[in-house]
Amino acid sequence: MAAGPYNYSYIFKYIIIGDMGVGKSCLLHQFTEKKFMADCPHTIGVEFGTRIIEVSGQKIKLQIWDTAGQERFRAVTRSYYRGAAGALMVYDITRRSTYNHLSSWLTDARNLTNPNTVIFLIGNKGDLDAQRDVTYEEAKQFADENGLLFLEASAKTGDNVEDVFLETAKKIFQNIQDGSLDLNAAESGVQHKPSARPGQTLNNEQQPKDSNCSC
Amino acid sequence: MEESVGSLQQGNHPLSKKLKKILDTRLDNDKDMIEALKTVSTFFTDNNIRTRRNLRGEIERRSLLINQQFVDAFSHVVKDLELIHADVQSMTVCCKDMTDRLSATKEQTQELITMTSDLKSEEQRLQVHSDLAQAFLDRFQLKPNEMKVFHGTRDGHLDPGFFAVLEKVQKIHADVKVLLRTNQQTAGLEIMEQMALQQESAYERLYRWSQSQCRSLTSDAIDITPIQQQAMKALQNRPVLFSYTLDEYSTARRGAVVRGFIDALTRGIPSGPPGSPTLESEKKIQGPKPIELHAHDPMRYVGDMLAWLHQASASEKENITQLLSECEKSTEDANRDTLAHVLEGACRPLKVRVEQVLVSEPGTLTLYKLTNLLKFYHDTIRDIIGKACENISLLETINDMYILCRKLFFNSLQYLASKLLDKVELPPSDLSPPRTLNDTIHLLRDIFDSHDSSILPAAERHTDLVQVMTQVLDPLLQMCAMSASQLQPADMAAYVINCMHSIKFMLSLYEFTDQKIEMLSAQIDAHLDTLVNEQAASILMRGGLANVYKTILKHEHDTGPLSKLAGLDRSAMTSAFQHFDDVIHSPDESVLPQVSMLASATLKEVASSRANELVSSAYKVVYDVFTNEKNGYDSATFTVKTPDQIRLLLC
Ligand SMILES: Nc1nc2c(ncn2[C@@H]2O[C@H](COP(=O)(O)OP(=O)(O)OP(=O)(O)O)[C@@H](O)[C@H]2O)c(=O)[nH]1
Ligand SMILES: [Mg+2]
Repeated sequence: MAAGPYNYSYIFKYIIIGDMGVGKSCLLHQFTEKKFMADCPHTIGVEFGTRIIEVSGQKIKLQIWDTAGQERFRAVTRSYYRGAAGALMVYDITRRSTYNHLSSWLTDARNLTNPNTVIFLIGNKGDLDAQRDVTYEEAKQFADENGLLFLEASAKTGDNVEDVFLETAKKIFQNIQDGSLDLNAAESGVQHKPSARPGQTLNNEQQPKDSNCSC
Repeated sequence: MEESVGSLQQGNHPLSKKLKKILDTRLDNDKDMIEALKTVSTFFTDNNIRTRRNLRGEIERRSLLINQQFVDAFSHVVKDLELIHADVQSMTVCCKDMTDRLSATKEQTQELITMTSDLKSEEQRLQVHSDLAQAFLDRFQLKPNEMKVFHGTRDGHLDPGFFAVLEKVQKIHADVKVLLRTNQQTAGLEIMEQMALQQESAYERLYRWSQSQCRSLTSDAIDITPIQQQAMKALQNRPVLFSYTLDEYSTARRGAVVRGFIDALTRGIPSGPPGSPTLESEKKIQGPKPIELHAHDPMRYVGDMLAWLHQASASEKENITQLLSECEKSTEDANRDTLAHVLEGACRPLKVRVEQVLVSEPGTLTLYKLTNLLKFYHDTIRDIIGKACENISLLETINDMYILCRKLFFNSLQYLASKLLDKVELPPSDLSPPRTLNDTIHLLRDIFDSHDSSILPAAERHTDLVQVMTQVLDPLLQMCAMSASQLQPADMAAYVINCMHSIKFMLSLYEFTDQKIEMLSAQIDAHLDTLVNEQAASILMRGGLANVYKTILKHEHDTGPLSKLAGLDRSAMTSAFQHFDDVIHSPDESVLPQVSMLASATLKEVASSRANELVSSAYKVVYDVFTNEKNGYDSATFTVKTPDQIRLLLC
């Protein structure tokens, strides 16, 4: 933390969705704290985590919203898709039902985010290969058919966890660079900090001119 | 021979001496001699008498010549020596002269040397002074470059070195107290005052810098620079300036939050932070519509607004934490107060919109769901703001909305309940529960279901339910009673049982309803008793056993034979038995319509079997009377079914 967690040029908003118990909170925790939480309570509503990463030499702050998978929170969590630049859609490779529900999660993600939102499919609990209930191949095919990025990961061992968050950011950044993502749309989920930061100089004279317009 | 030699030896004869000398001569050993002879041989070439006579002269002449040559040679040497002597002489003079001059000079320089060494020690002394002075200055004054950093440039640039200098000034200010304890008090006081002035002007400058920094933090995404964090840390030493700076910060952020909120509500795009490459690409808007587009869907509308504010709270909290992260003293209060202020601006737009939704009569169920939603977000945002969050206006606003919404919900229930009693319907002819009751039960179910799947923690889930239940059920039951008041007892019983049963059935799906269910069960049982009695009476009546049975009960304690009594004579009894036998073979026909109209199959069953129970025990009474010898019926001549047979037939 000490080595300047500040001075980033972008903020990307992520949302993590998927059935209850698939390990969404554990993935987030593994990514932000590099630790596995063995007995993680069910998420109530929505939780929040951040981390600064670097993509193509750019510092990017990820603002990650971890939603509750329990059905009773569906109505609440739907309000958080708004403005997500990345959506991590998680299922549990040892529980087929969580895979079967993906299409409903995907529908929500498609309807409630914007067309440029990068959706990353994650098959979690990859460490439990012996109890596998969903093959890599079929999930890969599902991902390909729906134009999703896909990886199997494990919040427990940390396998691929870093990758899914970074790959998503890379893809978003790529979208920004080739112009398909408009930064000025609030709902792009990306906030760009003007590089000419007012950082260290006083320009009392100039400020009011710009901000006058607001009512 | 020896004698002669001996005599020679002893004799001192010159000749002998000479001879001896000659004899003793060892020519080959005498180098001088050999040399002399060699030399002689060079010019003594002819050995004849004449030459022998002249030899001596010759040698002497030669010797003379050689000496002559010597003399000549030495006369040169003498001359040279004389010259040398003269030179040495003059050198001596010279040296003498120089020595004189040297000693003279020495005398002269002696003075200079003393002077120089005096000066030297003076210089050393001064150097020490100078070092001391320099050290003093280093310790107690700012260097020119430090002054420059400290005072900054015209454009307000704040050098990162500023804080080191500020620290130094503070240190000087503290250290200078040492001087006050020495005899340097004047200097101490002066420096102290000087540093105090420096400090004040530095804080003043830092404050103005921070203020203007904060003022510019109006974009959606902000980044707190390390230098700003240091500034806040330094300003903590001046609480007033610190809190003014935070005021400036929160005002800027408050504006940004309100703007962002309004944009999310109405535009779905940001206004673009000043200075960012904005607006030229505005046409490419994508993604979710503005929140207000969902105004027709109260849950989504209010939910989206609150979710937006939740996210804004989290982001702003993070920003403030970053801003104050270097501070050394506790910033918990400052943190919370600033966050409260930042979020304050969103209160009004939120309140106006939520109130609008609430007063638009969204319906009882929606009001209930909104109540839960508001409570949920109140708690969620409170968790972000942290402990001790009184006087946080956003929370207060949400709480107000929650209280209002809850009140409207209960008002709406109240209204519903009062409407139930306003216009009491007549029971339907099939004695089923009336439509209003079904509707109300349906609503309760919806409420309970949404309560059961509520977003609130389990502990909070059931708190309102008893109130909801009492508020609705009591008038509902009252309504049933009122609408049943015109009915015959059996109709009334069946109707009330049907109403209560459907309520009870609904309640039985939930865990918090035990007491109510118990109460309803007791009431249902009471009404069922009525129905059972009616049913039994009806069977007995139809079977013609009723009159006989009643008369028997009247004369239970008579001692004489009952066959003598009017109405209980043998023929009355036998015809009653015969009649009953006919009826009992088709028991379904004797079921009361009210019983068959019971909605619950179980209750129907219970009513029938309990009625049959009553009938068979009545039959047993009559049978016992008839077969008892003392009553004189001569029962052996007439076959009647035993009570057991009847019981079997009825079941
Ligand atoms: N073996 C294994 N267990 C995991 C892994 N990830 C999560 N778990 C376990 O799965 C359980 C559920 O994990 P959570 O992270 O709470 O699941 P969630 O998706 O956040 O659940 P909700 O908050 O209810 O939506 C926990 O007991 C974890 O210990 C994994 O990669 N491997
Ligand atoms: Mg979770």
